[in-house]
Amino acid sequence: MSLFLQRTFDSLANGSAYAALAVAISMVFRSTGVLNLAQGQLAMFSTYIALVFATGPSPYLKFSSNTDVLGAAWPIWAAILGAVVISMVIGAFTERVIIRPISADPVAAVGATLGLYLLLGAFVRKQWGGRTMFLGSPFPQTVDDRWDIGGARLWHDTVGITLTMIGVLGLLAVLQRRTKVGLAFRAVTSNRTGSLMVGIRVSRVLMLGWALAAGIGALAGGLIAGEINVRPDMMGRLLIFGLAAATLGGLRSPVLAFVGGYLFAFLETMLGGYVSFIDSQVTLVWALLVLIIVLFVRPSGLLPRSEAWQQR
Amino acid sequence: MTTRNPSTSTPLRIVWVAISLAFVVLSVRVAFSATPKIVTDFSNAIALSLAFGGLVLLTHYLGLLSLGQGALVGVGAYAALHAVNDFGAPVVWMPLAGLLAGTLVGAIVAIPSLRLPKAYLALLTLSLAVAYPIILKQVDGNLPVLLHGEFVAPSWTGIAENDEHIWELFLVAIYASAALFLVQGLLRGPIGRAFIASRDEPEAARAFGVPVYRLRLYGVALSGGMAGLAGGLLMIPTNFNDFTHYPEELSIKMFALAIAFGGSRLISSVPAALILIFLPVWLIDRNWVVEYGWVGLFKSEGFIYAALLLATAYLTRGKGFMHLFERRKHRNLETAVTTNRGASLVADQLMALENQLNRIEGFVGEQPDISSRQEPTD
Repeated sequence: MSLFLQRTFDSLANGSAYAALAVAISMVFRSTGVLNLAQGQLAMFSTYIALVFATGPSPYLKFSSNTDVLGAAWPIWAAILGAVVISMVIGAFTERVIIRPISADPVAAVGATLGLYLLLGAFVRKQWGGRTMFLGSPFPQTVDDRWDIGGARLWHDTVGITLTMIGVLGLLAVLQRRTKVGLAFRAVTSNRTGSLMVGIRVSRVLMLGWALAAGIGALAGGLIAGEINVRPDMMGRLLIFGLAAATLGGLRSPVLAFVGGYLFAFLETMLGGYVSFIDSQVTLVWALLVLIIVLFVRPSGLLPRSEAWQQR
Repeated sequence: MTTRNPSTSTPLRIVWVAISLAFVVLSVRVAFSATPKIVTDFSNAIALSLAFGGLVLLTHYLGLLSLGQGALVGVGAYAALHAVNDFGAPVVWMPLAGLLAGTLVGAIVAIPSLRLPKAYLALLTLSLAVAYPIILKQVDGNLPVLLHGEFVAPSWTGIAENDEHIWELFLVAIYASAALFLVQGLLRGPIGRAFIASRDEPEAARAFGVPVYRLRLYGVALSGGMAGLAGGLLMIPTNFNDFTHYPEELSIKMFALAIAFGGSRLISSVPAALILIFLPVWLIDRNWVVEYGWVGLFKSEGFIYAALLLATAYLTRGKGFMHLFERRKHRNLETAVTTNRGASLVADQLMALENQLNRIEGFVGEQPDISSRQEPTD
């Protein structure tokens, strides 16, 4: 029982990252109909930005050496927040400059997001190299920073990451449900032409949606970097789990995408832990298999059928 | 939809035949004069042009997005290699095992995803692209698996025993050109027109009795089969299989090149395949891959592909540069028709006459319907 509990706890941090990426993907797809395949790379890029802020002047890290602007090393929290802000600006810029002119054509839009995917990967490899780097966690990470519950260890770090992500996504839900901006966002996702007719500035709302999605991805990348370290390919696996989780919500429901993130992380940990022939790498394949089965059995994901039908 | 392809006019057909002949002559010349490394690269490019053909079919004929073509090539390579190693299939026929495996996997991915919005196919195929190297590593292990067979040229070819790479090139070229010819023929006929109808006006196509879902399913399976066959053909010059051959970047680069160079002709996949194979060779030869910083970024493969994708998205709205060329040809044809005023006058008068006849036919045709409707009320 304690082993089961331990594995459940272990799945929480990864689940938070998957859930955050899934919510970001769902938000963008719901509002613009574009599957942003660069979501993971944007998160990876902003994690490197956080690394630059957190490292301070260093001859080993480009853009951090000989810069008076950055000054000394920033605390990790500040570094991650700085990266989130920059990432939001990049997200808004991406929507305005790259996606908006071609959003009417899905092939062109997906092609553009893939172009961004390749561009960010090439940039990071050529500026910072392909080696693994360490960012650290904003939460205590020593051996003693844990609670022992039912024979299992629950790390402060895990709880911190999970609560932060739940808090941020809760705030996002409040923003969507209780503010005028959120109302405008919901109106645009529901009926873009109708929103234009009642005077909502659709383009600004969409730009905000992309900025928020990029910010959430950046936060997820910055927080999970303490667990998986920083490398150019750090988000590939997370993106696939994020996409799978978003699929559970029919690519349109952020709430179900959020639940799907934790569900996939739980499944990943349990399969890797209890099934002898599945190692940590192969869990990705099983996630893919589960995704195919879900699409076979329930094409709309976990969305109610009537709602899925309305959204087609 | 029913407009005749202007490129089928006789002079253009002659140009295409001349280009094809020039390509064949170049291939033979390369085969007999270049180093074995270049010949092998050339064979790989010809094999991969089939996989690009499959992608062109998906993106330009069906309007679907597949980001896992590289993985399907890997599936074909795996099936072909194990058909020989485990089941003793003749090496010459092993690409057909790849064709079968690619078709099956393509269909398996397509069946659930095609019932949903088009983004799902992109999503599932991207997942396949990421998962495939992991699966292959798990199944075949870390080390490359060698093909238990060799390609000895028949004596009538006059190819020496240690020049097997030349024979391999010819084998690959025969398979690839036959497959491209067959698929191009299929696309020129009613099936190709139905593909385009299901892409442009799916609802109208359904109304005319075109089974859109089934057609797309066949399209994705055919595209997967072409990728699988390409994988099987890759085993001819390469002779071994390894999980590092099929990273997710391969699928993404293939997608980038397919949408950049794709058009209404599958032959446009050949330049895409040549770039995929020879660009890294060229970058390594110029020592650009070891450069870092901003200069290194602009000289990197990732940047070149990203620039190509973004340029395709902006300049052609995702339809590819060949499409710009084809559109210009359409425009030229229209201009040629309108400038011939005498002919257009006759054509206009004929059209007016046909419209009048149609109206009269419609009026006559409506009479029985009116009486039949009146009968029950009477």
